[in-house]
Amino acid sequence: MTHEVSRRILAMLVVVAATWMASGSDWAGAQERQVVEVVAERFIFTPSEIRVPVGTTLELRIRSDDTMHGFRIVGSDVNLAVPKRRQGEVVVIFEATDVGRFRFECSRLCGAGHNFMRGEIVVVDR
Amino acid sequence: MRKHRLILVAVLALIATMSELSNAQVPGAEVTQSPASRERSTSGSLTGPISGYMDFHYNNREDEDALLDFHRFVLLFSHSFSDRIRFVSELELEHAVVSNETKGELELEQAYIDFLVTRSFNVRAGMLLAPVGIINERHEPPVFHGVERPFVDTVIIPTTWFDTGVGVYGELRHGLRYRAYMMSPLDSVGFSADEGIREGRQKGAESNASSLAGTGRLEYVGRRGLVLGTSFWTGDTGFQDRRFETSVTMVEFDGRYRRGEFEARGEYAHGFLDGMGELNASRQRTVGVSPNVARQVRGFYLESSYFVSPRPAPREVALFVRYENFDTQYRMPTGFQPLKAFDRDAWVFGLTYFPDPDVAVKLDYTMLRNQSDVVNAPDSLNVGLGWWF
Repeated sequence: MTHEVSRRILAMLVVVAATWMASGSDWAGAQERQVVEVVAERFIFTPSEIRVPVGTTLELRIRSDDTMHGFRIVGSDVNLAVPKRRQGEVVVIFEATDVGRFRFECSRLCGAGHNFMRGEIVVVDR
Repeated sequence: MRKHRLILVAVLALIATMSELSNAQVPGAEVTQSPASRERSTSGSLTGPISGYMDFHYNNREDEDALLDFHRFVLLFSHSFSDRIRFVSELELEHAVVSNETKGELELEQAYIDFLVTRSFNVRAGMLLAPVGIINERHEPPVFHGVERPFVDTVIIPTTWFDTGVGVYGELRHGLRYRAYMMSPLDSVGFSADEGIREGRQKGAESNASSLAGTGRLEYVGRRGLVLGTSFWTGDTGFQDRRFETSVTMVEFDGRYRRGEFEARGEYAHGFLDGMGELNASRQRTVGVSPNVARQVRGFYLESSYFVSPRPAPREVALFVRYENFDTQYRMPTGFQPLKAFDRDAWVFGLTYFPDPDVAVKLDYTMLRNQSDVVNAPDSLNVGLGWWF
């Protein structure tokens, strides 16, 4: 049990460290941070549109309510598996450094309506 | 040059009872992720091009021999030509064997190309699912309770309702989505008293397309846990006998709401069949028997379910109860009488056990009733095993 707790704490520290290293040393002080929980289910992302002002550090916490889905931001190298219901979540950090629309979609064939599973991160001017 | 800097680190996952972690490399950063996300890749699909689902049933109807039936063996194939051009198909074998002596069917239920243009406008063409009702587009075994699909989604809405067509779809604003297709029409020669329009599906087998049907769906999915939808189908159906005109218009409303471990869903479908008086009379003259097709069919159901063991698989168990009311002779053409045996209702209750979120072991008891004093509607005990991969 103690070993298990230690592993979880270690994992959390690794995640925090990785996020900090990848984001650059200035975000913590200068940028606004926004956390959005995204739920994936056949054949919907909720919310399917996420609007943030430019300069925001967007943290997406994505979980599934049924099968394993994929979360891919088109045009980037982000393509993650979203674990099945009650089996975890994935966290994606998105630095909204420029105005624009960034499409995301399910990247794992999840049923008849798979191609309906799409959404957008909309980065707007402040 | 305008440069979007999409810095992105992917990270992790993790959760409660899943304490096993692993490390993996993402370009530019070290990340930690749950075992389930190990399939990650940096392009294309996360799995191979084949998925599918299966349905294996034990049906024990009152006063009949029990049946073991491998009801559905379905494979989905997909391919991405590019980010904007994609192919999806669904090939289904029903009842295991296709022969003259068995009920088996081999059906191409979907095979379409999507041209993804914008979020609000995309084009789809090929073999399509009619976007009508809850189950027709969302019919994988783990996503609905009960061994068999709801009666309303079988004899009022003829799930799986598919045919050739072309159409557009997209999301208009936050959570408001639409589909609008032109599809091959129904054939009224197949309409019947007990199954309504079900056997009128042409299924894309050299479908007569002298007139096309229009179908569409508008749904709101903008609030977590809530889906509200309405759909329609309208089209002529009388191309095999042009001495009179027949047509079908169906309207449908549905909703699903989930909060915590509780989920409720409901659906109402109403079909208006024009020209059925002439059709019945014509068949009476030509083959000697009137099919006694109604001018209106109607059905609805309400279902609630609750995860009594909401712990992660293999410990997930949900209980459910569903009430259905459906009548394939709701309103008859002038001069024709409804048979009360087709005015039916059913209570279906049972449980679904998920050893994995993609595997459903189902048990239900179905109490089917009708308004007839003569024709019995049997109860049934059903056990099912369904899975998605």
